[in-house]
Amino acid sequence: MLSTSLLLAIVLAPLLGAVLAGLLGRQIGRAGAHGVTILGVGIACVLSFYVFYQLVWGGAPDYDQNIYTWFQVAGIGAHVGFLIDRLSAMMMVVVSFVSLMVHIYTIGYMADDDGYQRFFSYIALFTFFMLMLVMSNNFLQLFFGWEGVGLVSYLLIGFWFKKPSASFAGMKAFIVNRVGDLGFVLGIAAALHFLGSLDYGTAFAHAPSLVGRSIQIIPGHPWSAATVICILLFIGAMGKSAQVPLHVWLPDSMEGPTPISALIHAATMVTAGVFMVARMSPLFELSTTALSVVLVIGATGAFFLGLIGITQWDIKRVVAYSTLSQLGYMMAALGASAYAAGMFHLMTHAFFKALLFLGAGSVIMAMHHEQDMRYMGGLRRYMPVTYLTMWVGSLALCGIPPFAGFYSKDAIIEAVGASHVWGASYAYWCVLLGVFVTATYTFRMMYLTFHGKERFHVDAHAGHGHDDAHGEAHGERGVLAHAPHESPWVVTLPLVLLAIPSLLIGIFTVWPLLYGNFFGSAIVVAPAHDVLAEMAAHFHGVLALTLHAVFTAPFWIAVAGIVVTSYVYLLNPAMADAVKRVLGPVYRVVDNKFYFDEVYNALFARGSVALGQALWKGADVGAIDGVMVNGSASLVDRVARRARTLQSGFLYHYAFAMIVGLILLLAGFLLVPHA
Amino acid sequence: MTIQLLAFYFFAFFAVLGALLVITLRNPVHAVLSLVLTFFSVACIWMLMQAEFLALVLIVVYVGAVMVLFLFVVMMLDIKVAAAREGFIRHLPVGIGVALIMLAEMVTLIGLRAMQVAPPPNPAAMHGESNVAWIGTALYTQYLLPFEVAAMILTVGIVAAVALTLRHRVGVRHQNASQQVAAVARDRVRLVSMPAERGDPGAQP
Amino acid sequence: MSWNDVLTMLPELYLTGAICVLLLFDAFAGTRYRSAMHWLSMLALLVTALLVVSAQRAIPATAFSGMYVDDTLAQILKLFSILSVALVFVFSEPYLRMRKMAVGEFHTLTLFALLGIMLLVSAGNLVMIYLGLELLTLSSYALVALDRDSPRATEAAMKYFVLGALASGLLLYGMSMLYGATGTLSLPGIAATLPVTPHQSLAVFGLVFVIAGIAFKFGAAPFHMWLPDVYEGSPSAVTLFVASAPKLAAVGMALRLLDVGLHPLLPYWQDMLAVLAVASLVIGSLVAIVQSNLKRMLAYSTIGHMGFLFLGLSAGTSFGNAAAVFYAIAYVLMSTAAFGVILALARAGFEADRIDDLRGLNQRSPWFAGLMALAMFSLGGVPPLFGFWAKLLVLQSAIGAHMLWLAIVGAFAAIISLFYYLRVVKVMYFDKPAEDSALLVSSDASLRWVLSLNALALLALGVFQGPLLDWCLRGFGG
Repeated sequence: MLSTSLLLAIVLAPLLGAVLAGLLGRQIGRAGAHGVTILGVGIACVLSFYVFYQLVWGGAPDYDQNIYTWFQVAGIGAHVGFLIDRLSAMMMVVVSFVSLMVHIYTIGYMADDDGYQRFFSYIALFTFFMLMLVMSNNFLQLFFGWEGVGLVSYLLIGFWFKKPSASFAGMKAFIVNRVGDLGFVLGIAAALHFLGSLDYGTAFAHAPSLVGRSIQIIPGHPWSAATVICILLFIGAMGKSAQVPLHVWLPDSMEGPTPISALIHAATMVTAGVFMVARMSPLFELSTTALSVVLVIGATGAFFLGLIGITQWDIKRVVAYSTLSQLGYMMAALGASAYAAGMFHLMTHAFFKALLFLGAGSVIMAMHHEQDMRYMGGLRRYMPVTYLTMWVGSLALCGIPPFAGFYSKDAIIEAVGASHVWGASYAYWCVLLGVFVTATYTFRMMYLTFHGKERFHVDAHAGHGHDDAHGEAHGERGVLAHAPHESPWVVTLPLVLLAIPSLLIGIFTVWPLLYGNFFGSAIVVAPAHDVLAEMAAHFHGVLALTLHAVFTAPFWIAVAGIVVTSYVYLLNPAMADAVKRVLGPVYRVVDNKFYFDEVYNALFARGSVALGQALWKGADVGAIDGVMVNGSASLVDRVARRARTLQSGFLYHYAFAMIVGLILLLAGFLLVPHA
Repeated sequence: MTIQLLAFYFFAFFAVLGALLVITLRNPVHAVLSLVLTFFSVACIWMLMQAEFLALVLIVVYVGAVMVLFLFVVMMLDIKVAAAREGFIRHLPVGIGVALIMLAEMVTLIGLRAMQVAPPPNPAAMHGESNVAWIGTALYTQYLLPFEVAAMILTVGIVAAVALTLRHRVGVRHQNASQQVAAVARDRVRLVSMPAERGDPGAQP
Repeated sequence: MSWNDVLTMLPELYLTGAICVLLLFDAFAGTRYRSAMHWLSMLALLVTALLVVSAQRAIPATAFSGMYVDDTLAQILKLFSILSVALVFVFSEPYLRMRKMAVGEFHTLTLFALLGIMLLVSAGNLVMIYLGLELLTLSSYALVALDRDSPRATEAAMKYFVLGALASGLLLYGMSMLYGATGTLSLPGIAATLPVTPHQSLAVFGLVFVIAGIAFKFGAAPFHMWLPDVYEGSPSAVTLFVASAPKLAAVGMALRLLDVGLHPLLPYWQDMLAVLAVASLVIGSLVAIVQSNLKRMLAYSTIGHMGFLFLGLSAGTSFGNAAAVFYAIAYVLMSTAAFGVILALARAGFEADRIDDLRGLNQRSPWFAGLMALAMFSLGGVPPLFGFWAKLLVLQSAIGAHMLWLAIVGAFAAIISLFYYLRVVKVMYFDKPAEDSALLVSSDASLRWVLSLNALALLALGVFQGPLLDWCLRGFGG
């Protein structure tokens, strides 16, 4: 049995750490701040592992209880409660483990920053919200966590708020997520309307009743209720998990400190959408249309957003676009009803992507906060630990057996291939070609960073890079004050600890997660959609799967990508420019990220500013301020002044008023007939 | 028409007349005296209803004590009535109008029929004891708690009266009898022995 | 009378004894022992509260042949009354000390009033209602007049007394009509007789006067005229008391009379309460806008709040009743917080009772500006504070009783009233302090701590309102 206090401790320990570090940051100092938050998150991590152990091996039953009733209105209860099954337990482990790694890493990365305590408070707070999100047993708490992580994400992207680009990126993330959250809230409302409860258990139990029910939003066009609910919920997931076309905030979010990019914008928060869709599998299984939408949007992102990664020079942006692409893979898996595969990829991705980000951060530290790969190169000699662990992460990302990413990504590609929903063949080509793209940008990044010639030089007199780390100018670019060196142990330890699961976790978990019915009743798959069951028929053990890889298309496509990239960037650097010239227009489109930002700016940003201007000048100042607000305010004012004169101060006036009131009450009886 | 009913109308007439005079008479002393008349008439009505105890208490407490106190106060304060009267005539029509409306409403609401309710049986007579004995029994058994609470209210009245009127004025010279009695001769006169001759001429004068 | 009767009303009996001891102590100890008087009063409150808590029982008990009823409703109201009186003592202690006001009388009279409240909410009989009410109001009159040298306080006390006497007369007249119609004074007895009595019109006639008496006690329009003058004229310490515990008493009195005694006449009094509610909402929210005196503004806001409370009462359901009790508790805690800040800022010769006096409070004392803002937001019903839930519940109960229009009026009134609450916040945060103003927060440690707790409770009870609501619902068998 899982005890309530144990679960509460998991959630509250990081919160307590966050509160202490945030409110008493000045008093307890830097060591105190990272001490309490790491202790809090550490407790959460250990206990999460314990919960996971209890559920998987200890035979503990699933936990689903309300702990506190916030309010109960008209039969709808708003509760705080936990639903702990294998799905949430796995998320808890991933979230708290990655979070713990990032906490430790941050000690090194943020060592020189003034906002040290604030930063630790935020990331511990983030851990609290994320755990609330995954452990929730109802929509409302899910939304609480959802908004909470969004808030912390906003705060952290704009952490260096004095930098205009950072606060702009923070705003952008916030606003784009508003769009998603609007859909999400509507989805929750629709679910509540049709299913009559905010609790997962009750709502999912009523889910079959959705079949055949419809909703008319535009009169005359009834839409299936399940489809409307699922698509609205998925819009929320699109915002949070950065799916096309709401992905534009994620690359910009790289303005935040690197630990945040690893924790929030790679490993945990952005996967909340994936988790949510998996959690809602009983609803999504009812709507093939919604599954198609998920599949097509996910696959599109997997391929096209990966392409952008090839053209980027900023090391973090490359990883960011790779995240977008991988999130696309996860969504595509969900769309193909291979929820387990999506969750599997979520888990492996959390490890290797956090690793890649933290590795990139380590490189950035060594380069004195230079992020442009054109000024790197040859770093493998200076920082061997980062170099090796980054390679582990890269190979996992490319899906080379036996690294973790291979198993999860291969399963996704196969599942999408086996899916029969509308758009599956388009999606299959997208995810397949995505493998080539992934290999290309990954190896390009590794070669540019660690191999080749050094494109920087050391000049001891060239100012000091660290102080204006987040300022603008470095003086001349590519000039370092001293030679790059390996990062301290607090940075490399998390790298090593993350490299281990990136390498091994796939081998050990592929069988139970994908085919062993690991998630049990937490995930519901309609028999007609069950692609994993089809695939299970061809599964002959981990070793066979690994060896079989050399006969499959994805493997060779990845290898092709690697070969091409190696040739271009290692052997014939001039080739890159030649390719660029040949593919001129295409390159420009990709390099400009398919012009999403430009279109959004022109259409939404300028459009809404113009609309706002018009409304402000015409409607607000004229009609609302002039007539309604000031008008009603002056009316109220006049009535109030008049009414005040009734209070004359004379005793007999008061007594008279009472008598008149009495007479009116009596008259009421005479005039109004009663039963 | 029995003699009792005749007596009732007689006393009721004087009760209402007294009440009217209280609010119309110019001289406050006369007004208080009219109030006495009202109380007295009401006491007589109670007497007719065989509530002897209440009737006597009304006369003893209200007429005998409260009204006399009122008279003292009114006589001592020497209120200028004319000023207070001024509004009275001006507002009289409104007042009469409101009173008439109230009366009309009361009559319509309750209905004349309901006013002819037969009085409930006399509880004292039912118990076969005198009115005084019955009130005493009820007061000290069933209504013990309200009785005690009423005592608390009186206590509050005393506390409030003291709190609002008792003043320790500073600078007022008043006798302290105990100190006067306790005084002894040596506190009043102090004999000082001084040398008769002048001292050193250079010293203090 | 039996031993059981005595045990049942032990809290009241203890309080009576304690008051007598305090009276004697005050008479003989003199002014040197001011703080001893304060702490002894607090001790008396604590013991009384403990006795109330220890008497928690599942089934209601009666004592003294049904005169006294002890049930969950009575316990809730008593405990919160005791709590609010304790708050009054803590908040007013520095105020009274600075003004050299009669501390002994203040404490004993307030405790007398508390005794009245406790008897009133436990009343099982019309006589007890009347006597409890008189005990409360008589003490209140004296309290208002306590500052004898202030002409405004004397005037306010005079008005309060005369109008209160008028209202008591109306109430008593109504009660006599009820007695005439039913032949009994016991509230359950009245409820049992009403459906079968042939004189129902007489009872309804009496009901109107009873309602008028209740409305006066609440300060509901048009029986509200005394309230602004009394709030403004009284010393702030007394205003704090008048604005707190008596509202709980009023809600208890209304529930005893209407819910226990006159429930068969529900269709009649429901409409009356609805009309009074609308009048109070309108007057309360509109007239408060043009006030410049903070205490006066809060007085009108009280009238508005009483309108909300009537929304809950007029539903006539157990949920509505629970909502009304919940609202009364919320209101009391909010007004102690608001008046507490005024008291914390008041000094000798400076009442801090004009809205302008709060200008720039945020620069002088951010913490107390924050507490005041919390109280104002809660009074205005901003979620998730206590006041929001209270408003939500009464509106909900009004809708539940099919009085949607009433709920709409309530919602509008809530919006309008936000204006003047927010104005206080604006003045505190955005206006510059006057050059000569020396806004100083009292240095009294217990005042500062308890006031902080009081204001923070508005937040805490807003977030965790569940248990309190459950408790209120349990008072009505819910």
